[in-house]
Amino acid sequence: MEIAALGIDVGSTTVKMVAVNRAGALVWDYLEPVAPRVSRQVDDFLAKLGAKIGSLAEIPLVATGYGRNLVQQARQSKTEISCHAHGVFQELGHGGTLIDIGGQDSKVIVIGARGRILDFAMNDKCAAGTGRFLENSAARMQIPVAEMGAVALTATEEFTITSTCTVFAESEIISLLAQGVAVEPILMGLHRALVKRVAAMVRSVGLVPPLLLSGGVVKNPAIRKVIADETGEEVFVPTHPQLMGALGAALFALKLAD
Amino acid sequence: MPINIPQRKAVIQDIKSRGGMVAAVLPIHYPRALLRAFNIFPVEVWGPPRVDVSLGGSQLQSYVCAIVQNALSFIKMGALEIADLILIPHTCDSLQGLTSLLIDMVKPPSPVFPLYLPRGRREEDVIFLAEELQSLYAGLAELTGRRPTDAELLAAIAREELCDQLSGRLYEQRQTLGLGNLDFYRLLRSREYLPAEEFAALAESALAVEAAPLPGTPLLLSGILPEPMMVLDLIEEMKGLVVADDFAGCGRRLYRPGLSPEPFRRLAESLVAAPPDPTRGNAIGDRVQFLVEMAAKTYARGVIFYEVKFCEPELFDLPELRAALKERGLVSLHIEVDINNPLPQQTATRIGAFLEMLNH
Repeated sequence: MEIAALGIDVGSTTVKMVAVNRAGALVWDYLEPVAPRVSRQVDDFLAKLGAKIGSLAEIPLVATGYGRNLVQQARQSKTEISCHAHGVFQELGHGGTLIDIGGQDSKVIVIGARGRILDFAMNDKCAAGTGRFLENSAARMQIPVAEMGAVALTATEEFTITSTCTVFAESEIISLLAQGVAVEPILMGLHRALVKRVAAMVRSVGLVPPLLLSGGVVKNPAIRKVIADETGEEVFVPTHPQLMGALGAALFALKLAD
Repeated sequence: MPINIPQRKAVIQDIKSRGGMVAAVLPIHYPRALLRAFNIFPVEVWGPPRVDVSLGGSQLQSYVCAIVQNALSFIKMGALEIADLILIPHTCDSLQGLTSLLIDMVKPPSPVFPLYLPRGRREEDVIFLAEELQSLYAGLAELTGRRPTDAELLAAIAREELCDQLSGRLYEQRQTLGLGNLDFYRLLRSREYLPAEEFAALAESALAVEAAPLPGTPLLLSGILPEPMMVLDLIEEMKGLVVADDFAGCGRRLYRPGLSPEPFRRLAESLVAAPPDPTRGNAIGDRVQFLVEMAAKTYARGVIFYEVKFCEPELFDLPELRAALKERGLVSLHIEVDINNPLPQQTATRIGAFLEMLNH
C-alpha cells in the first residue's frame, strides 16, 4: 500500500484518520469514538498504521476538526470547513452546496466550480441541527442510532415536533409516547425538525445546486430523504461521507509532501 | 510597540481630584465637546464586563442585548454613583427603554439626561439635533450652574475635532504604526474615557512611529464594538490584519468637522454627517457603498460582522447587507457574541475558515 499523506479529523464524536496515495485516492481509513486524550489516541492510530506499512516519519499529517489543535503529530492544522469542502470536491468532482451534519455541529459550504469555498455558515451553538439531536432522541426511544432512519421511513404519517431545542424535543417525545403515539411518526418528525434547522442555514448562504452531503449523520436514509424534500433538490453523497474531513486534511497534507 | 494607556479608573479619579465632573455616557453618538465645555468629562459605558447581570435581567427581557443588560446591572450595583450624570442617547429601543426605566423606576442618584438623535441626514435633521443639543445645554447649565460662552463651546469643539482628525489619521496609517490588532484598538478605544488633550497626545506619539507594514490578510470588521477584544488577538494569531472597521464605537465615529461657526449647529452637522449607521436609520445602500469603498481603499479582502447578540439595529440589516456586499464581490462572515463570555472555540474555527477561504 502506497501512502503519500495522512489526514486526521478529530470530531466531537469520532476520530477519523485516512491515508491517500500520490494521486490523492483514499487507500486506508480508520474510525473510532473520540477519546479524552486525543494525542495518545492519535499515537495509537499511527502505531496501527505503522505496523502495517512501516515507518511513517516522512509522511505528512494534517489535522482538522474540533480537536485539531490537540494533534501534536500534525505538521499543520486546517479548519473542518476547508477540509470537508476539499474532500467532497475531490470525491464528487464538482462544486455545489455542501451540507455537512456532524455530531455536534452542522455546516453549509458553497463550493465553486474549481473547488474554492465561496461562502459558508455554521451552526455550533445549538444541538438541534446536529447528530446529537438524533442521538438523544434515539436514546429516549430506545432505538439504535444506526436504525433510526430506516425505522422513520416506514412511517405512514408524521408528527410535527414543535421544539427546536434538543432538550425540549426530548420532553416532547416523552409526552407524545405517553399519549400513545407510535414511534415511527415521531421519528419522522424528529428528522424533519433537524433538517429544517439545516435548511434555514442553506437559505442564509443561498443554495447553489447540486446539493452535496457529508458527515456521519447523512448515512441515515431518512435524513437524505427529508433534505431532498425540504430543499427540492436531488442530493449527492460521497461513498464515505463520514471521512470527508479527514480526506480533505490528507489532501492538504499531500500538498506538503510535494 | 506597547502603548502606555492610562486605566479608566485612574482617569476618573484624576478628573475628580481636579474638580471635574464625570458623565457616564451610553452608546453611541453624543456631543463630547458640549460636555467638556461644562468641565464635564465623558466616560463611556459599553456594557462593562464582570457584572452581576441578574440585576438587570430582573427588569429587562432576555432578548435585550448585553450592553443594556450590563449597564442596568452596573447602575443597580451602584458602580456609576461616581458619575455626576448619566447621558443616554436614543440609539435603539433598548437604550430608550433603559432611559425610561432609570427615570421612572430605578431612579439612580445621578440625574439621567436622554438625548434624542434624528434618523436621517437632511437639513431638518440638523435643525432638530441642534435644538436637542441646546436643550441638553440648558439641562447641564441647570446642573452645573455654568453657562459656557460660544467661544468656550467652540474651543471645546476644536479640541474634539482635532481628536477626530487624529483618529482618522490613525486609521490611514494603520498598517505602518507597528501596532498589532489589539494595541491599535486599545489606543482608539481609549478615547471612550480619556480627555481630548490626553488622547491627542497619545495619538500623536503613535502617529510619529513609522514601522514596516504589518503582514496579514487584510480584513474589515463591522458591528457595535470589538468586544470581547480577544478576537483581535485571535485574528492576528491566524495571520489576519484588521485594516479598517465599521464598528459603531470606532470607525462610525470618525466625525468630520461641521461647517457652521455657530456651535450647536456645528456639532449637529458633524454628528449627522458621520459614516452610515443603522442606529441612525441610514439606508442599507449607503452602508454597502461605504463598506465597499472602505474595502477598496484599505485592500480589505473580506468583512467580519462581529455582532453583539440581540442587537436589533445591526441584525435587522444584516442579511440584506451581506447579500448586497456579496453581489459587489465582498465576502463576509457573521459572528454573534455574548460580550459577557469568553470567545468559544467555534469562533476561532469560523474565523480560521474565513481566512482560509480568502487565501485559497
